[in-house]
Amino acid sequence: MAAAGRAEGTGSRVGDFFETRLRIGPLLSALVHVRIPIEARPYYLGGITLFLFGVQVVTGTLLALYYQPTPDAAYDSVKYITSVVEFGWLIRSVHHWGANLMIICVVLHLLRVFAHGAYKFPREFIWIAGAGLLLATIGFGFTGYLLPWDQRAFWATTVGTEIAGSVPVIGDGLLGLLRGGADVTAATLSRFFGMHVLVLPLGLGALLLAHLVIVHQLGLANPKRPEPRPGTFGASATAAPEKLRPFWPDYVLDEVIAWAVMLAILVILASVFPAGLEDKADPLITPQHVKPEWYFLSVYQLLKLVPRIVGIMAPIVAIGALVFLPFLDRNPAVTPRKRPIAILVALAAIAVMVGLTVWGQYS
Amino acid sequence: MNDRMPLLARARGLTRQARLGFLMAILCASGLAIAQGSAAKGAAQGAAPSPGLVAESSPGPSAPAADASPSVLPSSAPSPDESETAAPTNACAACHKAISAPQRAIAEQWEASIHGKNGVGCADCHGGDPTSDEIGVAMDPAKGFIGKPTRSQTVALCGTCHSDVNRMRQYQIPTDQLVKYQASVHGQRLINSKDVRVAICIDCHGSHDVKKASDPTAAVYPLNVPKLCASCHADAAKMKPYGIPTNQYALYAASVHGKALLATQDLRAPTCASCHGSHDAKPPKSTEVVQVCGKCHTATQALYEQSKHARLDVGPKCWTCHGNHDVAQPDESRFFHPEDVIFDCATCHNPADQTLILNADRFAKDADRRCDTCHHSASQIYAQAQGIHDALDQANQAFLGAQARIAEAAGAGMIVSDADVELSEARTNLIQARAAVHTTKLTVVAKLAAAAESKAAAARKFADARLNESTFRREAMVVVVAIIFVNVVLLYLMRRRIERGRGTEP
Repeated sequence: MAAAGRAEGTGSRVGDFFETRLRIGPLLSALVHVRIPIEARPYYLGGITLFLFGVQVVTGTLLALYYQPTPDAAYDSVKYITSVVEFGWLIRSVHHWGANLMIICVVLHLLRVFAHGAYKFPREFIWIAGAGLLLATIGFGFTGYLLPWDQRAFWATTVGTEIAGSVPVIGDGLLGLLRGGADVTAATLSRFFGMHVLVLPLGLGALLLAHLVIVHQLGLANPKRPEPRPGTFGASATAAPEKLRPFWPDYVLDEVIAWAVMLAILVILASVFPAGLEDKADPLITPQHVKPEWYFLSVYQLLKLVPRIVGIMAPIVAIGALVFLPFLDRNPAVTPRKRPIAILVALAAIAVMVGLTVWGQYS
Repeated sequence: MNDRMPLLARARGLTRQARLGFLMAILCASGLAIAQGSAAKGAAQGAAPSPGLVAESSPGPSAPAADASPSVLPSSAPSPDESETAAPTNACAACHKAISAPQRAIAEQWEASIHGKNGVGCADCHGGDPTSDEIGVAMDPAKGFIGKPTRSQTVALCGTCHSDVNRMRQYQIPTDQLVKYQASVHGQRLINSKDVRVAICIDCHGSHDVKKASDPTAAVYPLNVPKLCASCHADAAKMKPYGIPTNQYALYAASVHGKALLATQDLRAPTCASCHGSHDAKPPKSTEVVQVCGKCHTATQALYEQSKHARLDVGPKCWTCHGNHDVAQPDESRFFHPEDVIFDCATCHNPADQTLILNADRFAKDADRRCDTCHHSASQIYAQAQGIHDALDQANQAFLGAQARIAEAAGAGMIVSDADVELSEARTNLIQARAAVHTTKLTVVAKLAAAAESKAAAARKFADARLNESTFRREAMVVVVAIIFVNVVLLYLMRRRIERGRGTEP
């Protein structure tokens, strides 16, 4: 570590040039030191989600250069991006698939963390921030879906906001807040655009920063043994010192390889299945089958099967339980074999959600 | 009654002479009131339309009269005029609901009906005194009670109100139903042949459960009309006495009209009533068919009237080429038989005077409704028909080719809105060209067909461009993925080298 007011040499002229002016060396050294237990198997899902978020920021910014958030111009501007702008189709399709893959990766990351018990002491706040990131990601999907202003977008948003309006006590207020009036109109489009490009990015950015800072400070969880609480003298306290894996360059290199693979998947999906566009939104023509995006299908199907109040409250309670899971699950064990109830409940919840989604798709 | 009691009580306090005078006065007043009531009733009956006014000879077999009273408007029939003044309440329903389940069902049907909701009570059709809860009074023939009206009476009963302009004005309902019914095949048989098996008002509208025609659950709602008519006309036993075929519903259901109405629920499609009429039901004559079809196919009628066919006295009409109940989707296959048709002079000409004849039997089968059913393959007109066919076929092939190419491009995820616009214009031109066949003019059809072909070619060009772009994207994708793959391999090798340098395995 360099003494105060004096930069340490980096061994290269360029490095020295910047280091003497920025004195960023100590910060970078600290950043590339993260505790990675040799047993940790993160499958790089968190890092891939971060990569996809970056892709969404870049492609979203490019789209925003052409997109016009008014009912008269939105549809034509999206059509213009897709058909006329050079590589506009690629940018839009990557943005479209990036959004879908991001939700998949966030959910898989959450399931991995749950399976490894990595939400337990001392990582409760990482989990809560992560749950917030999941909700923000779904919020991105919901608000972004309306922006092309085609029939599917318009009617899915009409149904989606209608469901939000059924929430007890705050339903009417929530509906007005989302739509900016009684119906899905220019005010709704304006609000959704604002939320999509300003409110949610800022919110997600703040949660992401909190998530990463705490991960950096605590390192990854060991899926084989729980973190010892201060003042306890369990087996872990007397066990041999934990074997670690270097974050830099090993872990970072693995992440970059995973990112490259994900980029290839994005390019393939965008090229083979480019983002489409239906007819322009028409409030007077209701399509025969109005369905939300796949990640809302389970809630949509549930609403068709049970009384409305149950269909509304069940997901809200489930989200509440998910966010506060670290404080609800008091079992200190982290291996799945020692947490049979938690694992069974999770498997049942996954089965129900997948079943409802498939049912909703084919109903 | 309540009004009388105080009067009688007061009378008790008077002298005998005065009482006698008072009684005389009441009797005189009652007699006057009864006389006025009878006069009013007679006037109302006199004003009601009489079916005898349009009585004409009716075709078909004569049927036995099942009703005791075949007159359409018997003198004993109750008039709604009576109940309007006498029936502020309807005690009939209250009693009949308690009699039995079927009676309760009838009362409840009436309550839910359009009549029940608009104050048309039981006594308006059945007569009697609806204010009394005593059976002897409420159902007293002296009070006009007739029980269940006969089928002949029913038509007159319904007609009494429904032909009354002043009564129907508030509901904005036409008042010509009775007159139309009297002119219909059904009405004519009822009046002239006393055949009470024919359809009357309640057979289509219901009796106690009458609903508005705009009510989708009503039997007369357009979507339900074909089945309603078929309930009699597809019944071989019911139609046997009249010698009428019973396959109309089956033909209609399979026709372009039937599919549109019954399968697609397109209310623009014609029901039986659209061509035959409803209250005035009667098959249109051959000479009327063009007007009947032209009611919807206005533009086609105008084109047909420019044709040589329209100028012929016995020339082909709509039904000659399209049929009637079994109208099929027209296309280019309707021009000619697959095989040559064998002609002799008598096929189209009267052997006696060589005038043109058009025998309906020759067009009974859909496969025989072709141009060469009449026009010999060696004739000049056949050559013209061939030219029209070829122009349309060429345009249609171009249209279908472009459509398939656009579908292919759309299936590859490409936005094809520009191609769709051109294809839509091609479709419009093709429809116009097909409709122009009714003019029988080759030049008119050929011009429109050429326009359709040109638009289809433009649409195909756009679709081809989109497909080429899609191919380029996929080829470029392969290159990009290959570059990414090389990078992944290099990164993996780099990682392995680092690990080996450190002397550890992952």
